[in-house]
Amino acid sequence: MPVPQRMGRGDRMGRGPYEKSGFLQDNSLPPLRTVKTSYDIFFPVEETEKGDRTIRTYPSDTMDIDVKLWYLPFGTKDDDAFLWREEKHTVSFDNSGS
Amino acid sequence: MKWPLILAGILLLAAPAAASGDHPAGVGRDQTLAARPKAKTIAELVARYDSESCIECHEEAHEQWSESAHSRSLFGTGRTALTFRTAILNGLMTWKASGVKELKDVRVEHLMGCAKCHLPQLADATDDVAREIVLDIDAWRTAYLNEDDDKADELEETLSSLNINCLVCHNRNAITHKWTDGYPRTDTVYGLSSDGDTEHEDDVFTRKEASPIMGESIFCGQCHGEGPNFELENPTQCATAYGSYLFAYIPEGGHRTCQQCHMEESGLGHNIQSYRAQEMSDKAVDMEVTTQAVVWRDVSTMRPKATVDIELTNQAGHGIPDG
Ligand code: HEC
Ligand code: HEC
Ligand code: HEC
Ligand code: HEC
Ligand code: HEC
Repeated sequence: MPVPQRMGRGDRMGRGPYEKSGFLQDNSLPPLRTVKTSYDIFFPVEETEKGDRTIRTYPSDTMDIDVKLWYLPFGTKDDDAFLWREEKHTVSFDNSGS
Repeated sequence: MKWPLILAGILLLAAPAAASGDHPAGVGRDQTLAARPKAKTIAELVARYDSESCIECHEEAHEQWSESAHSRSLFGTGRTALTFRTAILNGLMTWKASGVKELKDVRVEHLMGCAKCHLPQLADATDDVAREIVLDIDAWRTAYLNEDDDKADELEETLSSLNINCLVCHNRNAITHKWTDGYPRTDTVYGLSSDGDTEHEDDVFTRKEASPIMGESIFCGQCHGEGPNFELENPTQCATAYGSYLFAYIPEGGHRTCQQCHMEESGLGHNIQSYRAQEMSDKAVDMEVTTQAVVWRDVSTMRPKATVDIELTNQAGHGIPDG
């Protein structure tokens, strides 16, 4: 979101319209531009020690990913929150070893 | 014998000076609703821009408008009125040179930092009206906290009667470039069409005319903000959607108007909405998600992971969120 500067000076954000003047930063979604974000989510792993060796096993080779785009006008899901988009994906890797 | 001539000379010089000081420069400015003697009470101010008569013939526009934030632009959901109060308590009353020590010191000039957009017609009222508004907001808050519902409802009704209604948009604020297009007349509603037929059936607003900006973004822009409001003694900043439209949307090649997206394509007409309406939120952002599993090799350790790439494209005419 746009981060307004307090009274147009210094590094402090202003919150009320009576003290906001200018911007310090703007993380809002800019119009007509594509914003990309990437996430790496590691599969859960179980490690067991066998002598000096660590054995890794993967309880599951599939992962359900639920991507939700929320609009939180007042910064919290408790008050006036809107779910704009939701997509469910499932990915899996080859867990056959080697 | 020279005295009368000298006196005549002084009078001639003095008369034009007084005239140009009393009258605004713009031709027709003194013929507007805004120029009438200032409203002395909330009720008088409401009466000046009373749009009740429009309902009978423009029922749909009225119904739609009643659902929009414009129909309660001062009270809002309560949050707007409370923020007016905060602006006084945490702002005006703490600043050394504002001239406000108590709620009752608040004048029109102090409230215009917000009313400029939330209630532009406050400029046509006396300081008594500014005081009445401030004290009503304070009394509403007290009644609300004390769970005195009758009192709270009554005050909410009074405060909600102050809003951006038909006549604010179709008369008072219908013309931005008043020297170019002329001042809004007290007998005219300004709309979109320019079919040349100036007859309008309303008893008071007997004429209709096209406003050159009714279908243009600048019409909405006059209240939807660009940044600090520098014309004020102490600049405020609230909405900045019009600034974002001008300096971000247009440079990216955007070419739609506020009215096209908010009133026409949305099908919402005068129920001008934001994310609260699904018609708008459905169009707001395109989301593209791609996922993939990758077995990442961290030196000698295999670490399977999912990668999730999300692309968001804002399809609105300004940043999301605003402000
Ligand atoms: C007795 C019926 C009647 C009343 C009362 C009335 N109107 Fe109209 N109005 C009309 C008709 C008929 C038209 C022309 C058709 C149309 O555009 O809907 C019209 C047109 C308009 C237009 C479009 C003008 C143009 O040239 O584009 C506006 C704006 C408007 N009215 C606003 C108002 C407002 C504001 C009020 C209240 C102060 C009001 N009307 C009261 C009947 C009425
Ligand atoms: C430049 C015009 C402008 C000025 C000046 C202005 N506002 Fe606003 N304000 C708006 C607009 C337009 C909105 C709604 C659109 C938006 O949120 O972008 C809004 C939204 C708000 C909201 C959020 C309402 C809600 O429930 O979401 C509050 C609260 C508010 N204003 C209070 C104030 C106060 C208090 C002041 C004065 C200190 C002020 N505004 C000055 C135009 C303005
Ligand atoms: C926030 C400003 C605003 C308010 C409040 C508002 N209007 Fe409008 N109105 C507009 C705009 C802008 C248009 C042009 C819409 C477009 O471009 O499609 C319009 C269009 C119209 C038209 C059609 C004009 C034409 O020539 O086709 C009528 C009639 C009208 N309004 C009547 C009303 C009435 C009656 C009210 C009060 C219930 C009202 N409006 C309140 C902004 C407003
Ligand atoms: C006379 C000033 C004024 C004009 C003209 C005006 N607006 Fe507004 N608008 C406001 C104010 C003030 C609010 C916020 C009221 C509140 O605090 O709830 C608002 C609220 C809104 C909202 C809802 C914002 C939210 O957070 O839910 C939208 C959308 C909007 N206006 C769009 C428009 C469009 C489009 C136009 C032009 C057709 C327009 N406005 C013309 C002053 C104006
Ligand atoms: C290309 C279409 C488009 C144009 C042009 C457009 N808007 Fe919007 N607007 C939207 C959509 C979609 C939303 C819903 C997303 C949202 O609420 O954030 C929205 C939301 C808003 C909001 C609420 C912003 C918030 O904080 O969430 C306001 C206020 C607003 N518009 C005003 C305007 C004004 C004023 C203009 C013209 C200067 C305008 N819009 C031009 C599509 C548009």
